[in-house]
Order: sequence, then C-alpha cells, then structure tokens
Amino acid sequence: MKAKTGKHIQKARIIAQVIFTFLFFYLLLSAGRAGAGAESFTYTDYFFYFDPLLLVLNFIATSKILPLFLLSLVPLVLTFVLGRFFCGWVCPFGAVNQFFSWLFKKSKKEKKGVDKKLLKLKYIMLILVVISALVGSHYGGWLDPFSLLTRSVTTIVNPSVNYLLEESLKKGAEDEGIVAKGLKPFYNFSRKNILTVKQRAYDQTFIIGGIFFFLLFLNLYKRRFFCNYLCPLGALYGLAAKFSLFNLKPDEKCISCKACARNCTYNGSPFEDYMKSECVVCFNCVGDCPTDAIAASLKAPRKENRTSVDIDLGRRKVMGSIVFGLCLGALPKIASPVRSRLHRFLRPPGAVPEKEFLKKCIRCGECMQICPTNFIQPALFETGMEGVWTPVLNAQTGYCEYTCNKCTRVCPTKAIAPLELKEKQKFKMGTAVVDRGRCYTYADGYNCAVCEEHCPIPEKAIRFREVPTWNFEGKQVNVKQIYVIPDLCTGCGICENVCPRTDAPGIQMSAEEEQREELTF
Amino acid sequence: MKRRDFIKKTAMISSSLYLPGLLTMAQAPKGDLVVKVEGDSPYEITKRAIKELGGMEKFISKQDIVMVKPNIGWNREIEQAACTNPDVVRAIVEQALNAGAKKVIVMDNPCHKAEDTYSRSGIKDAAQKAGAEVRFPDENRLVVHDFKGQRITQWPVFKDFLDVDKVINVPILKHHGSAGITIGMKNLYGILGGNRGKLHRDMGQGIADLGYGFKSHLNIVDAYRILVRNGPIGGRISDVELRKTVIASTNIMEADVVAVNVFGAAPEQYDFLRAAFERKMGQMDISKINLKSIKI
Repeated sequence: MKAKTGKHIQKARIIAQVIFTFLFFYLLLSAGRAGAGAESFTYTDYFFYFDPLLLVLNFIATSKILPLFLLSLVPLVLTFVLGRFFCGWVCPFGAVNQFFSWLFKKSKKEKKGVDKKLLKLKYIMLILVVISALVGSHYGGWLDPFSLLTRSVTTIVNPSVNYLLEESLKKGAEDEGIVAKGLKPFYNFSRKNILTVKQRAYDQTFIIGGIFFFLLFLNLYKRRFFCNYLCPLGALYGLAAKFSLFNLKPDEKCISCKACARNCTYNGSPFEDYMKSECVVCFNCVGDCPTDAIAASLKAPRKENRTSVDIDLGRRKVMGSIVFGLCLGALPKIASPVRSRLHRFLRPPGAVPEKEFLKKCIRCGECMQICPTNFIQPALFETGMEGVWTPVLNAQTGYCEYTCNKCTRVCPTKAIAPLELKEKQKFKMGTAVVDRGRCYTYADGYNCAVCEEHCPIPEKAIRFREVPTWNFEGKQVNVKQIYVIPDLCTGCGICENVCPRTDAPGIQMSAEEEQREELTF
Repeated sequence: MKRRDFIKKTAMISSSLYLPGLLTMAQAPKGDLVVKVEGDSPYEITKRAIKELGGMEKFISKQDIVMVKPNIGWNREIEQAACTNPDVVRAIVEQALNAGAKKVIVMDNPCHKAEDTYSRSGIKDAAQKAGAEVRFPDENRLVVHDFKGQRITQWPVFKDFLDVDKVINVPILKHHGSAGITIGMKNLYGILGGNRGKLHRDMGQGIADLGYGFKSHLNIVDAYRILVRNGPIGGRISDVELRKTVIASTNIMEADVVAVNVFGAAPEQYDFLRAAFERKMGQMDISKINLKSIKI
C-alpha cells in the first residue's frame, strides 16, 4: 500500500478519534449542565453500551443481558474483521492517551522494541477482573476505560476546569478595561455552554484525580501505556483481534529500514514482532514506510505464511492469575464493613439492593456527573472494600431535588433502576432523624424550622408542634419543635443540607427504612 | 379708596388665596398610598396598580439601573404558587424600561438551585423576553451590609442589590411555616447570602430589620395565586387559592398589612408586623392606611 494512502487513513483515524472524544465529552458535560428537570434527556450512557467487557461482567453479575448492551457485539464482531480498530479509532480514553503520548514524544526516552512481558499485564488484568466477578466482586469498573474516564472527568477534570474558567475569566471580565472587553465574550460563552452555576466538589477528587494523572503521565514512560499494558477491554479486543482478517505485511519492496517501528502504537512493527492482538490499526507504519512496502489486507494469510506473533501467557501465569483473581474476589466479602449489621450510607434513588448493587455498579460516576445538586459522591471505604467509588449520598454537599430523576435514567447497568418521576418522588432512600441534642428547637429552645420550610413533600414529612419548654436562658417559652413523619419522608436530605447548625446538623439522614433493602428481606 | 380699606381688602384677598392651602393643612396627614387591584389578568392588574401609584416615571429616573427582586426561591411551577407570577414580573420590567431605565436586572438568591428555579418558575423567560438581564447569584459578590437592626446588624448581601439606583421588591404572598406568612419584608431574605438559616431564630425581628435597613423603592405584592397552607414551598395544587390581586406601595410594611388582609388573617398575629409597627414603619390598622381598592 502506498505511504500516501497510509497517511490519508492515518488522518481519517485522527479525525475519527477527535469526533468520538468530542462526542463523549459533549454528552458527559452537557449532562452535568442540564437542569434538574425530568424533561431534559441525555444520551450520556450510550458509550457504555458499546463496551463488551461490561456486557460480560454484567452477565456474570446478573445472569441476564441488558438488551442495550447487545450493541457492544457490533464492535466485537467488527474486531474479527478489522482488528482492534476500536482502541485506535473510537475509544475516547485511547484518544486521550494517544494525545498525551504525542505530547510527551519529544521528551521521551523510550526503549525501543516491544515489551512482551509488560504486554501480558493487561491479559492478566482481564483474567483478574473476570474471575473476581465470577466470585461476586466487581473490579471491572476500576479499569474499564469508559468508567475510568467518566469518573475522572466527573470528579476532577470538570470541576477544576470550571473553577479555573470561572476564576480567571470572571475576574477579567468584571474589570473595566481593554482586557475585560476581550474576555467578556469568552466568559459569556463559557457561562452559557461550559460552566455550572455552582462549583461542584467531590469527596475522592485527590485519589481519583491522582490515579488519572498518574495514568496519563505513564505515557511518558511508554506510549499509550494504559491501552497497551493495563486495559482489560483492550485485552478482550486483543483476544478477538488475534483471529481478525486484517493483516499487515511488508512485501518485497521492504528495505528493512525499520521506519515502520518508529511510531507503532505498541512499539512493534509489521516487520518485526507484528502482533495482531496489539495492533490498533492506526496506520502509522504504512504512512511511515519510505518504499510503500507494507501491504494491508483484509485477508488473513495461510497458517504457514503468518507473521503475527501471539502473546502467550503460559499455563503458569494463567493459573496464577486465576488463583489471584479468586482471592481478590473473596477479599471484600470477608472485610468487616459488609458484615456489619448497621450501615451508615445511603444510595441514590432507585438503587437496587446492596448485594446486587455492588455487582452491577461499574463505578463510572455517571450519576455523580448528572446530579444537579452535587448530592451523589464517590465512596471510599464506607460501603466496604468493594464499594470504592460507588455512589453514596452526602447531604452536606447536596440534596435530592424533588423534581429530578435523572440519575435513575443514566445508569448504564441499571444498578440504579429507572424510575418515573412520580415513582422517584415516592422512593424511600432513607429517613431523616432529628437529633434532639443538636436541633435548636429542642437543645436551645428557640424557633428555627428551616428544615420544615424546605421539606419538598407536599404533605410535609417534617412538621412542628408548639410545645412549652425551657430555652437557653432558662426561661419557659413556647417553641415550634420539629418532628419527622417517617412514612412520608423519602430521605432526600435537603433538611440536613439546610440545617443552620454549623458543626453537625440537628437533623440527619439515616438508612432507616430504606426501600431497596425491604425488597430482599 | 381709603388707605384702611385698601389694607383690609388686600388682607382679605391674600388670605383667601391662602385658604385652600390652610384647609388642606388642617386635614390629618395621609400616609403612603397603597393600591390594591383585583382582576383576571396578572399582567393587567400589575400595570394598573403602577399607574394608580402615579406611573413608573414617578419612581424611576431616566438612565436608572433598576433591580427587580421577585421571589424565585423554589423549583416549583407557576400553578404551585411558590414563586412570583412571571406575568407580574414581565409587566414591571416592561414598565421600568418604558420609564427610561437604562437597565433592568432580575435576581434572587433562591433556596433551590438557581438554574432550576429561574427557569421552572417561568421568570427567566418572562424577564428576558421583556428585556431584562437575568442574573444568577454569585457568592464572590457578597459584601457586608449594615441593616442597623436589632436581630440583623451586619450580614453579607449581594453587591448587585446595593449597586443599583432603584430596587423594586416583587414578593408573592404565601403561607410560611415559621414566620406564619411571607410577603414583602420577608422577600428581602433573597438579597442575603451566608448561612441564612441562622436568621430563623427570632425571625419576626429579623424580617422587620430587613424592611427597615434596606430601602426598596417600590413594593408590588403578587397575590394572584397564593399558597394558603404548607408554605413556603408548597407543591400541592389543593393548597393554592386564587385571589387575583396585586398590591403596590412605596411603604413596604403597609403593603404587607394589606396583603395579610387579602390572605384573610389579622396583622397583629404576626411577629414581624408587630416588630415593624414598633419601629414606626407604618400603620398596622388597615382602616388607617391610605388604601385605594380597584376592581377591573
């Protein structure tokens, strides 16, 4: 194939990557900006349906296949024809990694040649993820590229961009002067299209962000590090690509110059160490060939003519990974929080019972991104070792908006089951409990009732009664004391969110009478 | 004519010229005018109320920057009567711009998320269509304002409300759990930032402090649809009643007293009105108020 054609295909590939990445970010960010209304719909979850790894993991967890996940068979089947085109052309996290690899190219002192040992790592990851899922623990979401990217963008990239834009543009746009006149249109544009009115903040920003940037900086060490050496989805596609029809082979024009190895995504080349399972169909090699010697075809050569090298984990590594995966799968099940009788966390409305939830949730943070009030936060260990980055509710940062059901509609794996707005308004996430030692109306003996005022239930789940009591001065007074009607309370958390106490709220959310657990017991 | 006659006649003529003036002086001084207009269209009754007060030109000078402060507190729809009627806001914005205002800003610091309340209440659309700037509250713009009150002395206020030439306070009349009722003075909570929940202690005094310490140049109370129970957030249509009324006055307390009357309650039962009365902000007895009622 002519190098010129290769260059054209290369360009097409970059355009495709840009388009898909843009689409991904657009869907994700627009979802976070949309209002709380049930009216606005978003397709931000659709990227996940093209992820066969999630199809597999979800099937293991529930023994059912969500119909939309059948879409993921499209890229998987195409992989048998085109090779790992998904990684090279479509995957937004792949594109991000590729961009950073390109950025770091000049400063890189990368070793030449394929690192066959390191390439095995992602297959081990795939085994670990699948085996531990079989035992009932879900680790897939930690490494799945869509989950990882969504989670990182949600908790670190988006809030920090928002902050920086707001701080820099706003300050500039408010002064009177030439700079301000220049900045004003930018500010108005970003206000209209990018910024959220209230700055978001997330609990695990440092950890999730740290991991994200670490993964990006690994591209300094080897290009597209995550894709080549860690991604379990890449490994799955690799297994399929091994049998693909797509084939690269240098023909008789080859002058053994190894130019094709210069920009190969996995540091191989069609000339030496050609690996079908690793090739992401980027066409860099074809474009780089000075003699137009590399032949790309959709015809797999006969067995005896094959040049592709397979990655062979070896029986020992496979067995070892399986055993390790079993241990990893069992580990969270014997860690204490799961065995505790009490649980002190709440899940978003529509969340399925806890055991099922942990299996289904892929920790993508889609619900956190879409939550208009910043109510949904990534957990660390409060829900157990398994529950790292699963969504929990934090009434200190937000509350569940009565007129919103968006988190129930974006969950790709239906760990948060879809609810109609009317159902959601009745869905019991938990119950508010008055802390009489802290509530002003009890402890200090004066009127407050901010929680009563904010309670969105039309019949009022929080009410007050006028009771003679002693106030903080020791005088007898009539005070409107707060009480909760548990049957009406849905646990939306706005009462805790608005409680004016500055240290710890006088009314708190609790998992008491949580609706989702009722279903199982 | 003799000199004596001349002096007599001059004295009589000149004193007769003064007579009407003297007569009016003899009458008891009347308070600020309060206009109450009832009618089917919230837009028309608002326009009429402003006209009866002497027209918007009376309050707004040319090139003024005008702040319209409706109640946009809750993520609720018009029918649920938790926020000011958008037609009332629209009428006011239009009138202000017609009167020569340079710019009209519509802003509130809501309890729910501003993006949602602004659009769901219909106020954002109505105000923008009428030509106003709809501004979101920005915590970076908080400055400390001294209300010189008893309960509220110094408190953070959005600079936007202090930087303008005229403020038009456009509350909705509705039931309120802890204050009993919320009207004009209570509506001024929306100019505040900070931990506003703290102000629910001795709320009556606090509300009076706000009305006393912050000057709103015109108050227009929307009592078209009112929440009679479960306020201020409401939500049930069965808690909403139609009163089809708008009350306008420059006196914030007397507008509130008339609104309480429309609500069907006695002003004395509310702490904040008693506190305001003690501060001589206006009359508590509706018969002493210079009230003009109109039906269209």
